[in-house]
Amino acid sequence: MQAEFIDYIRFGILSPEQAKKLSVAKLNVPDTYNEDGYPIDGGLLDQRLGVIDPGLICKTCGGRAKSCPGHFGHIELVRPVIHSEFSKVIHTLLDAVCFSCNRVMIKEAPQSPIPVKVVEKLISSKEEEAAALTVPQQAESKKDASAKIKLSKKCPFCGTPKKKIKFSSPTYFYVDDYKLKPDEIRDTLSKISNDDLEKLGINSETSRPEWFILSNLLVPPVNVRPSITLESGERSEDDLTHKLVDIMRINQRLEQNLNAGAPQIIIDDLWELLQYHVTAYFNNETAGIPPARHRSGRALKTLAQRLKGKEGRFRYNLSGKRVNFSARTVISVDPRLDIDQVGVPYEIASKLTVPFYVTSWNMPQAKEFLMRKEYPTAVNVITKDGKRKRVIDTNREELLAALQVGDIIERQLKDNDIAIFNRQPSLHRISIMAHRVKVLPGKTFRLNYCVTPPYNADFDGDEMNLHIPQTLEAQAEAKYLMEVQYQIFSQRDGDVIITNNEDGITGMYLLTQDSTRLSRDEASYLLSLADIYDLPKAEKDGTYAGKEIFSMLLPKGFNFQTKTSMGAFTIKNGKLVDGVVNKDTYGRGENRLLIKIGMDYGLDELKRFIFASSKLSDAYVTLAGVTVGVKEYIANARVEEERVKLLSEVSAKVSGLIEDYKNRKLEPLLGYNLKESLERMIIAELNLARDKAGEMLLKYENKDNSALQMAFAGSRGSVLNIEQMSMFLGQQSTLSGGRIRRGYYTGRVLPHIAPRDVSPTARGFVTTNYTAGLSAIDLFMHAVGSRGSEVYKALLTARSGYLYRRLSNALQDLSIKEDLSVRDTSGNLVQTIYGGDGISPANVKFLKLAGDEEKA
Amino acid sequence: MAKKYSDGREEFHVEKGDPVGMIAAQSMGEPGTQMVLRAFHLAGIESTISTSGLPRIAELVDAKKSPATPITYVYLEKSINKDLEKVVALMKKINEVRMSTIMRHAPMENFGKGLIKISLSGQELESEQLTAKQVASKLAKELEVEAYEKEGAIYINTHTKDAKKIRALSTKISKMVISGIEGAGKTTVQKDKNTGEFYIIAAGSNIESIINVDGVDKSRLTTNDVFAIYRLFGIEAARNSIIKELNQTLKEQKISVDERHLMLIADSMTSSGSIKGVGRHGLSGQKNSVLARAAYEETVKHLIHAAAFGEIDPMEGVTENILVGKQIPIGTGSVKLGIKTEQPKKK
Repeated sequence: MQAEFIDYIRFGILSPEQAKKLSVAKLNVPDTYNEDGYPIDGGLLDQRLGVIDPGLICKTCGGRAKSCPGHFGHIELVRPVIHSEFSKVIHTLLDAVCFSCNRVMIKEAPQSPIPVKVVEKLISSKEEEAAALTVPQQAESKKDASAKIKLSKKCPFCGTPKKKIKFSSPTYFYVDDYKLKPDEIRDTLSKISNDDLEKLGINSETSRPEWFILSNLLVPPVNVRPSITLESGERSEDDLTHKLVDIMRINQRLEQNLNAGAPQIIIDDLWELLQYHVTAYFNNETAGIPPARHRSGRALKTLAQRLKGKEGRFRYNLSGKRVNFSARTVISVDPRLDIDQVGVPYEIASKLTVPFYVTSWNMPQAKEFLMRKEYPTAVNVITKDGKRKRVIDTNREELLAALQVGDIIERQLKDNDIAIFNRQPSLHRISIMAHRVKVLPGKTFRLNYCVTPPYNADFDGDEMNLHIPQTLEAQAEAKYLMEVQYQIFSQRDGDVIITNNEDGITGMYLLTQDSTRLSRDEASYLLSLADIYDLPKAEKDGTYAGKEIFSMLLPKGFNFQTKTSMGAFTIKNGKLVDGVVNKDTYGRGENRLLIKIGMDYGLDELKRFIFASSKLSDAYVTLAGVTVGVKEYIANARVEEERVKLLSEVSAKVSGLIEDYKNRKLEPLLGYNLKESLERMIIAELNLARDKAGEMLLKYENKDNSALQMAFAGSRGSVLNIEQMSMFLGQQSTLSGGRIRRGYYTGRVLPHIAPRDVSPTARGFVTTNYTAGLSAIDLFMHAVGSRGSEVYKALLTARSGYLYRRLSNALQDLSIKEDLSVRDTSGNLVQTIYGGDGISPANVKFLKLAGDEEKA
Repeated sequence: MAKKYSDGREEFHVEKGDPVGMIAAQSMGEPGTQMVLRAFHLAGIESTISTSGLPRIAELVDAKKSPATPITYVYLEKSINKDLEKVVALMKKINEVRMSTIMRHAPMENFGKGLIKISLSGQELESEQLTAKQVASKLAKELEVEAYEKEGAIYINTHTKDAKKIRALSTKISKMVISGIEGAGKTTVQKDKNTGEFYIIAAGSNIESIINVDGVDKSRLTTNDVFAIYRLFGIEAARNSIIKELNQTLKEQKISVDERHLMLIADSMTSSGSIKGVGRHGLSGQKNSVLARAAYEETVKHLIHAAAFGEIDPMEGVTENILVGKQIPIGTGSVKLGIKTEQPKKK
């Protein structure tokens, strides 16, 4: 399913003769349609250039609008004009060439002359050296050559002093204040020999410099510049057509004046006008010309504008292509779906199709399938000769009779078909993964929440795209390279990226507490959800320990241990003996449960475990009832007491520092002057207060606090969050990172603050909290901080997007070769062995774990 | 089980055909948006002010000739590095003091008498621990002129009435480095918490000169200026420096990116023997393919150049193959797959 083989693409310029040969019509009427609304012969929409109106027939190939690809025409310019885009090249050439002997003023060939022909030969022979002789090197040798020319004051061949060529954008060249006419330039350029051109790196076969001067202007087919019929019946022409009309009009006037023998000054004026129009036709943003405009004042989009930039042909149409067999809708969560599944609405599944290749072996099944009337049914039959026929109730029998080996039946999407799922922005490759289809009622795509991290998706209205691979090769690649379980470990740092999170962790944290006991009913309910229909050994009182229930999920004979700040975590022989499941023992990080399971039992088992544990966890959260309300963020009396104490302490300490500073008793820090030292000491003191507040919160806050429990589990929120909401917000900072200090001329932020006050509250230390409400000054300080980070975020996304584009463009050609070396696609060696050891970043956590176990 | 893995390290190897370049770019690009201004980055007392986060990353991969905030870490030889007085003395030797910082205003020329008067700022002199006399003698020595100090100001007798010469001299004076090493910047002494030794931090990157100062531990001299390292130690050191700086910047932001990605970025930047940035003037702008360059930036320029010189696009890379609708020569696209179509034998 790809284009014909392309060896290489050679760029060049058309000579006037080639242009004429390519052309099917000489155009000479500067108009489009006649009064009857038909294209004028010899006009810009001449029917020999192809047709776009459905009723007409192309006069060159006889095709209709759909089948005729369009044909080039040409305009014979009565006076030659310069192709303005080549002005710079023309300038270097005129500078390099001797006006009396027409040689390029360079004696010996540059250091490493690499004639284009040689490069071409090497490319086809694919020798090692071919890679070495790259275009950049060519460019460098060219640079050498032109540098030498600039140095020489006279022609090394005939000794004539060099003349200085003055160039003024876009198309003016002067020798000793005499303005060169295009035909004079053409004469000079045409006298340069092919050998001399080669010295400058120009391939004379494809690009003779005299062709930079145009005498036959090629006119693109109408398909390139279609006219639009407005609702009112009026025709609106393309920008290119408008410009071409301008060119032809001036060309005609110039011809008339020439024939009439008009004075030179009029001829020159018209000639320059013609030059202007041709320049604008190629690039309407050329420096030195006013852009041609519509009557409305909008600048015309001419050839260069069509190619350039983000919305240009290259980046918009060629680098990015539109596809069929895709769907897009809102996503929502379904924790009952396996993590490698995607729930597809029936409505979408009935429209998207998968090819069913009819062979001699599956002919009976194919015939049977074609006769099916209810979902899943055949949608189209593509016959061997490529004709697509829609299957409808009335033509089933007919199609059945005609069905033969080699035909393709397009059937509706059904369960377990492979689909590619994507969420934009596709910042990394796991933004696009393959899922198994599960057709569901409803109108949204459904996915398990464990796969949201790689997509960076949430369910607040996000939309995602679904693509159905159409060939067996594509399906196989999707299945074996892109499926979710192969992406569990991130290529970025080897961490688990697809994992249960939030409630999926909280539940396990609560379940694996030592004190958790469940009744037989509860235990069997939980385990059945995780697809386990067995019960662990009961305790003496007939209840079941939470740890035992969790252990049921673990693979048989599994051993694992790790240490965290909350104590040891040990699994022996498939049983959790010690410790609780939380973020430090479970997923992301080094030496975690999921990594060990992945290493010992493989990705499929790991996938099963993540799914089972997430379901178990969700169910237990529901059962136990974890809820967070404002209550969680109202500090109890003891904590409030500590807060007040802490704040008065810190305020006393800071005023002590300020006092010392004023009395010059403050000992400055190494390398800082007194003032800087004071500032740094205050900041350190305030940070200390923040940390202390956290400690106090941990010490005195009720351990049943759900918010705190989630922080312990590591599922959502942190102690700092709770602290900021229930105790005090702490220091607000500005963009530059220091304390807030701008405002009135003494540096005070608000008129309520005394001049030169550097105390905590005066510089953005917020002592109040969200729950109790911020004081007026605190609110302002907080707003300063918020606004700063908001502005910064907007700036950052734009900048990081561009950085990413540059990085990916520079590195995209690199890949691993047979010997684990890294080379680009031309064979240039970048690393002899990837990363110095050939280890994949996705496996580093395995490596670490394996290494640790070996040591032990 | 574990043994099996670490013995046969192939288990952990990258797969052949893996687009490691793209993965490296993604690993750096994707967390780019997460690089936030650290809310509490005022933490340590010791921390020095330097460019961090995304601007620093951009600076590194763009191969900017000099960093926005150059910093040099000067560790000292064992014999003196615990002696604060000696360290401070050495710091003064390095600390760059420009005339412009200690002058109160521009030198005042008296063309009639051929005199230049320079008023010095007492405060600045004090903080740099210099005296006007020292400055005067230094000026006299360096410029080979008659210079003397009077009432806190310095007078220079030029012995000429040529206004042009006097003006030239006074501009020269304004630009002069009066003490320390040019390009070393402002220095401070810091104490290493772990070893208890003192070291010097300089807000400049003239390591070429600093390395020659007596007492400097040459083996531990380091800077965040990649080009300074390239000039002094060569391309391999520069490569390591890029990796180190990228790693450090990412770590500060608490973003974990495997070092191998950074190595690949640094290696492709330096594999030509000089440091090239990733932008249109560096790696991307020097690709073989005309189409790839045109699709990146400066579309028209590249097409025109290709046409004028008769360039050839070898169609080897990723971008150009996507443009023409062919498979890319990476990963599964770098191999061909054939299937025998003859009927399998029935058993």
